[in-house]
Amino acid sequence: MLRYVIRRLLLIIPTMFFVALITFTLAHATPGSPFDRNENKPLPQATIDRLNRYYGVDQPIPVQFVTYIGNLLRGDLGLSFTKGRPVADIIGQGIGTSAQLGVQALLLALAFSIPLGIISALKQNTAADYVSLMFATVGTTIPSFVIAIFLIYIFGVTLRFFPITGWGTWQNEVMPTVVLALGPGAFLTRITRASMLEAIKQDYVRTARGKGLSERVVVVGHVLKNALIPIATIIGPATAALITGSFVIESLFNVPGVGRLFVISIEQRDYPTIMSTTMLYAFLIMIANITVDILYGVLDPRIKVA
Amino acid sequence: MTPSRSRIWPLIGVLSLVVLVISACTQQSGGPSTSAGADADPNGEFRSNIGSEPDTIDPQVESFVDEIGVTMQVYEALMTFDIKTGKPIPAAAKDQPKVSADGLTYTYTLRDGLKYSDGKALTANDFKYGWQRLCDPATAGNYSFTGYIVAGCEAWNSMDPKKDDPAKLAAAKATFLNSVKVNGNDISFTLTQQAPYFNSIAGLWVGVPTREDMVTKGGDKWTEPATYVGNGPFIFSEWNHNSKMVFTRNPNFRTPVKLAKWTKVMINEGAVAFAAYRSDELDEYGIAAEDLRSIDSDAALKAQVVEGPGSCSNYIAFNLKKAPFDDKNVRVAFVKSFDRDAYIADIQKIGKPSTSFISPGIPGYDPGDTFQKFDPAGAKTALAQASPAAQAALANLKITYSATARGKTRLEWFQNQWKTNLGVNVSLDPVDTTTYTQLVKKLETAPQMFYIGWCADYYDQQDWLTTVFNSKSTQTPTGYNNPTFDKLVADADKEPDAKKRDDLYQQASRLLSQDAPVGFVYYSTTKILQKPWVKNLYITPLGFEEAGYIDLYVTKH
Repeated sequence: MLRYVIRRLLLIIPTMFFVALITFTLAHATPGSPFDRNENKPLPQATIDRLNRYYGVDQPIPVQFVTYIGNLLRGDLGLSFTKGRPVADIIGQGIGTSAQLGVQALLLALAFSIPLGIISALKQNTAADYVSLMFATVGTTIPSFVIAIFLIYIFGVTLRFFPITGWGTWQNEVMPTVVLALGPGAFLTRITRASMLEAIKQDYVRTARGKGLSERVVVVGHVLKNALIPIATIIGPATAALITGSFVIESLFNVPGVGRLFVISIEQRDYPTIMSTTMLYAFLIMIANITVDILYGVLDPRIKVA
Repeated sequence: MTPSRSRIWPLIGVLSLVVLVISACTQQSGGPSTSAGADADPNGEFRSNIGSEPDTIDPQVESFVDEIGVTMQVYEALMTFDIKTGKPIPAAAKDQPKVSADGLTYTYTLRDGLKYSDGKALTANDFKYGWQRLCDPATAGNYSFTGYIVAGCEAWNSMDPKKDDPAKLAAAKATFLNSVKVNGNDISFTLTQQAPYFNSIAGLWVGVPTREDMVTKGGDKWTEPATYVGNGPFIFSEWNHNSKMVFTRNPNFRTPVKLAKWTKVMINEGAVAFAAYRSDELDEYGIAAEDLRSIDSDAALKAQVVEGPGSCSNYIAFNLKKAPFDDKNVRVAFVKSFDRDAYIADIQKIGKPSTSFISPGIPGYDPGDTFQKFDPAGAKTALAQASPAAQAALANLKITYSATARGKTRLEWFQNQWKTNLGVNVSLDPVDTTTYTQLVKKLETAPQMFYIGWCADYYDQQDWLTTVFNSKSTQTPTGYNNPTFDKLVADADKEPDAKKRDDLYQQASRLLSQDAPVGFVYYSTTKILQKPWVKNLYITPLGFEEAGYIDLYVTKH
């Protein structure tokens, strides 16, 4: 087990290197420069040349990449081209907010999706099942930005229950958290339902019932426990969905997190910020997946991860 | 594994509660009061949206409207601009500058008793430090070229602070500092040539008195509120990154402002900002063309619309080195053959039709210059007078533009106008934005026809006529070269008499319209929604005049 964990952790290093290489190449291949932000009023060429020289963008791209990796190994994420401040500081300002939003949304998603999935499976083909299936379908198919705008108009403009933008008060946080939780939540509901239905049909459930155990003990102890294995494995991809979802949600609701920063840095071709945010996300997703794989072995001792 | 059976639900429940409690504890008080009243609310707050986080608010680095807006709320330059005319008027300076007999030295005297917001006395040396930072190559500023008129600035600024010989850098710095002299409350600038427009540059953000002790103390984070200490109308009191900036009244400013607080939020999405305005979270909202339909259908919103001048002039440019636009008759025919009013109504939605270069609110705006006005008959007459070679070249015309959806709609409209009013077919030539930007940088690569514009840097005709259309200009590469025009603007640039100077520029501007290297289309305008309780919100081309910060107030609501 320990060897497996160490091997997985070591694999992060080459993966991160390729993430860096691909991101760097793509970012630099995208047309535009960090210094041509206003097409009506371009900066004088002499100024652009001076800025390119100052930030080292005049060097050949392979040289820039080597310099970047060298600095990265020394823990230096570089200066933002558009903000002129260290990228580490800029990301540091947003990471707490993004983490809070992500954790809130994940907990909310788990809190409603697992009960919904269980009810749906236990009351298969009843009204309760259809309602929860409809929720799961709507939540998966309608893009979050559409739901977000919809909620803004209902709860922000018309009813004025919640402020539309900003961050820091619980009222501010309700709408972004709910919208971000919807997608992964809907997905988790479907998986819970399917995996519960699968488990209900197993022989050991029939045996448990045959032993005369109470329905509650059968459902919680025998059905749910076994149904949880696929659900646990889904939390890895769900974390990824929360991260990518946060790009849209943070931008729409004006949440000062890393997701919004990531979107803006791409618009501005702010290469160092693009690199650092992408690598941060890649790292988080890898850690989430490794955690889930380890958890998998813990939940089901039959599975040998090593 | 057995315990997890019964613990998983309580755990999730408890964690959710914890998160909710944490969020509730970080709740901030807020919200404006709601009582009625018509006078300025002494505790009034104004809330506006700046879209996204300013990249930098370093006065000597920045170049964008929202960045400059922050600087000018917190700092005061030597001069500022009259709200109506755009002419420079005294700000931190006591009066207009004293100009030496040779026209090369401008001396400003500071008002007595000026202070920074933390109480420290403001001296002429603080202004000198601001200018020194502007020209210092190590600052890597976007707008340092505005300082090049001061002797020694360009040479020093063009050096490489990392690779050049430190002794040479020090010498260049000393040369520059020698042309900015401080004597008591006086600061004087020696220019490279006569330039009455220097007085307008003295009103820009680039020369505000950044505090040397604060820059040193804050290092690369000196623009945070603790060290961004200025001498202007407001104190920068809070910067919640990527969310909002809060400014409060500076009691040490020479004329305390009427607002107690100004909050600038950063809402990226236009639709969301519009929703925030409608739910009273914003007091002002910049209207986009796509909002007009919903505003027009709502009487209450429609009554809150205010429009004012923007800073840009947009036009179709011709390449005078290529047939048929080497023939003036063809250019005149083209510029007279599109209906600008219809263009604004049908395509642009927000803007003001133009037949002259300089936009409203900038000195030199000339509504009487109507040579280029829509005149299909006149256009056809002009076209008939074109040379046979030019006539032949009409068969093969194309207009190049940046390939965006909006660009396509625009250019198809022009294509249709020229077809209808002139009987000429122009084909469309979309290229990607980066390529387009490169193409229109110099004459050698300039397309036959292209769509471009110019926006004000400061309030002076020199920034328009001389910078863009003198024959040596690198902006708007049409190849326009008229010695009469060159002489008019060169004389005007140096003319100390304000009236004569304006006259010379007006002659140049009208000559430009008649020579028609470009066909003027429209001036950008700013259309906003403002709540009924907002008073004295001025819309000006550059938007950073001091009066705009001092006079603005909100009534109790």
